[in-house]
Amino acid sequence: MTNHRRPVAILFSSNQFGLLLVVIGFVLAFTFGTQGFASKFNLFTLGRVVAIDVMIGYAMMVVLVTGGLNLAVGAIGVASVMFGGWLMEVVGLHPLIAVPVTIGFGASLGWINGYASVRSGVHSFIITLATMSIFFGAMIVLTGAQPFRALPQEFIQFGKMRVFGIVSPLLFVTLAVTVLLVYVFSYSSFGRKILAAGASPAAAELSGVPVGRMFIYGHAISGALACVAGLMLTMRNGAALPSMAGQLGADWLLPSFLAPVLGGTLLTGGVVSVIGTLLGAVLVTIINNGLLLLQIGEFWVQMFLGLILLAAVVLDRLRSVLAERRRATA
Amino acid sequence: MTDAFLEVRGATKDFPGVRALDDVSMRLEPGQIHALLGENGAGKSTLIKILTGVYQPDSGEVRLYGERQRFQTPRDAIAAGIGVVHQERNLINRFSVGENILLENLPTKSGLVDYAAIFEQAQPWLDALDLHVDPRTPVLQLSAAQMQLVEIAKALSLQTKILLMDEPTGSITPHETEVLFNLLRKLRDDGVSIVFVSHKLEEVFALCDRVTVLRDGRNACESRPLAGLRRADIVKLMIGRDEQIGRFGEKVIHRDRPALVLQGVATGRGHRDINLTLNKGEIVGLYGLIGSGRTELAKAIIGAERLTAGHIEVSGRRANIRNVTEALRRYRIGYVSEDRKREGLILIHTVLRNVGITIWDRVARVLGFTTERIESASALPYIKRLEVRTPSVHQTVGNLSGGNQQKVSVAKWLAAEAEILIIDEPTIGIDIKTKTYLHELIWGLAADGAAILLISSDMPEMIALADRIVVMNDFAVVGEVQNTRDYDEVSHRIMAHIHDPSEDAVPAPTAAAAIA
Repeated sequence: MTNHRRPVAILFSSNQFGLLLVVIGFVLAFTFGTQGFASKFNLFTLGRVVAIDVMIGYAMMVVLVTGGLNLAVGAIGVASVMFGGWLMEVVGLHPLIAVPVTIGFGASLGWINGYASVRSGVHSFIITLATMSIFFGAMIVLTGAQPFRALPQEFIQFGKMRVFGIVSPLLFVTLAVTVLLVYVFSYSSFGRKILAAGASPAAAELSGVPVGRMFIYGHAISGALACVAGLMLTMRNGAALPSMAGQLGADWLLPSFLAPVLGGTLLTGGVVSVIGTLLGAVLVTIINNGLLLLQIGEFWVQMFLGLILLAAVVLDRLRSVLAERRRATA
Repeated sequence: MTDAFLEVRGATKDFPGVRALDDVSMRLEPGQIHALLGENGAGKSTLIKILTGVYQPDSGEVRLYGERQRFQTPRDAIAAGIGVVHQERNLINRFSVGENILLENLPTKSGLVDYAAIFEQAQPWLDALDLHVDPRTPVLQLSAAQMQLVEIAKALSLQTKILLMDEPTGSITPHETEVLFNLLRKLRDDGVSIVFVSHKLEEVFALCDRVTVLRDGRNACESRPLAGLRRADIVKLMIGRDEQIGRFGEKVIHRDRPALVLQGVATGRGHRDINLTLNKGEIVGLYGLIGSGRTELAKAIIGAERLTAGHIEVSGRRANIRNVTEALRRYRIGYVSEDRKREGLILIHTVLRNVGITIWDRVARVLGFTTERIESASALPYIKRLEVRTPSVHQTVGNLSGGNQQKVSVAKWLAAEAEILIIDEPTIGIDIKTKTYLHELIWGLAADGAAILLISSDMPEMIALADRIVVMNDFAVVGEVQNTRDYDEVSHRIMAHIHDPSEDAVPAPTAAAAIA
């Protein structure tokens, strides 16, 4: 949210409001159009998935704002979770110690992406394409593709808990991260600097913003968030699985782009919407869930999500063209 | 009366919410150089775009040799024999100079592009403009000035009878300008008609025969002979009132308090043995042709380029400036970039963010906590002081006019409380009103005790503002001129340093001599 005047004004003028209406529309449609969308069990499941998908979206978002990409979100998520599983199951660390260490590990994998990209001057697209294979490959080699199934109960339990019968505590984690990200991007000097660096590296650098460092921080935060998403997925699954994000972690790619792009984060960097990303992820998860309940095949759903991404990008393009046109005649 | 070469009658053009042109006429005769003048936003570029088929007029007509024309696309205009140099760059960066020049009709041999012919045919145009680059060079390796010249060569190569030039001298030096002018005069004598748009009235008087002035989208005068008009008359037509000549107040130069000293500085870019002293309260001009290393020197001072020898002192102490952040925080050095859109501002962010960027860390509370209110408290006084005209501080900077954008890019350094300010080409492409305002501002900053290094290719600007002028050529300091504010004398001495560094103050017949 780069322009925040009065909260009410933003709500109605922004495309987040439109997105919210779309979300509500789909919720209503699926509630009345499917069997079991609003059931307690489905809402609980949905909540868990939303919590994770939002986090995956954030992991991509914090790199998009720097004008970069992180194709390795899935690979980092899985690799760091396998590291965490090893810490808990083999080393025997208590989750309260193992989890922070694991998140630190995820952050350092992200840091590697940022450092390599800034130092080499190569776009993060190429760097993260490479590290996606490297991280994933190394993880498979080191774990022998074997999952960690005997994770501590207190860790696994967190994914199974229900508050008020339908709310997963994972949602609270996501909520806390959302508050943190809103704080960073709207109320901190650090967030302003990262956005400035993403919007125009040359201008930011000459205004005293350490642009390279900001890019590296963006990637490190991305790594940490990807790791948190991975940990949440592990809690849900009850085990640390090398296959949980698909081959090379590629299953996360589509949702990771969908959420921020639908939410109005510019692919060219410098403009972010945390709440938009949240809503974007919620929308995608609901559509996914609803379509499955309608018993449309998994591949149809994938195709549909791909179409949504394309539509969102076209919309994004249209928005900037319109903005440009307004500027030209101003 | 014979038919004019090219004539516009009663052209009107509306854009949503604004009438860019209102019943505008202009008449271009054979063998004339016709000045088209006006403030920013007066409608000059819109008129040029109508003449070249980029826009279609809502009413009114364009006549070529007495015949009514309806250009639908720029290609139609070119086909009808109208060549144009637009204000914006229209080159293809990855293509070579030669390909760009001949883009409209590339020579081919049995269906394939004939590169040998391209480079051979492009060469004469480069020679005519005294541009010493190989036509095989990719355009993206050229400096801004060289690109502009390539753009001009491209228009010339069409050998049209009508040539429209929108700010062709915006980023080229007096020498290059003079070469261009001689060429344009020769074309005129051969019967070519030229429309010449410029903010630099000196150039207009040196070159043009007739003048059309636009103000707020209307004719302030139409196709009038320039002879008999004085500079002040033209300015009055442009701005609708008399110009206030830059008379600045008194200011004190603290010669005992050097703010910035460069000693034997050399850089990887090729600067060698640069010595320079900048005192508190002083405005030192750094003059040189494009490519002489002025901007690069500025970047070395703020730590964006590495020094390979020598050292810098700030306020009497040795300074090791490793990056821009340090230059700003520790040494209070600010740099107003010549490239406003790319380096000076973040166009997609708001006015407030752009001004605030230098102070976020200073104003932030615990954990970097900042709100727009905290930001405004420090930034707003400067936005107000500079009279940035914007509907609100939340306006996106890209939507402001050029002059207001420049004010924003200066405001952020005022907010930063910079004590040493390097200002690079502050008034390029900025209208007279804002230009005068910025000049007063720069003078006022020095009067308040700032030390200012002014980089400018605008000789009148340099002579109006600078206390001393340091002349650079080929990445070295070749001389220094005390500014007596006597335009002819000072400009001659500056040019003499550039053209013959060994001799002092021998006026050479240069661009400066031709500028009245």
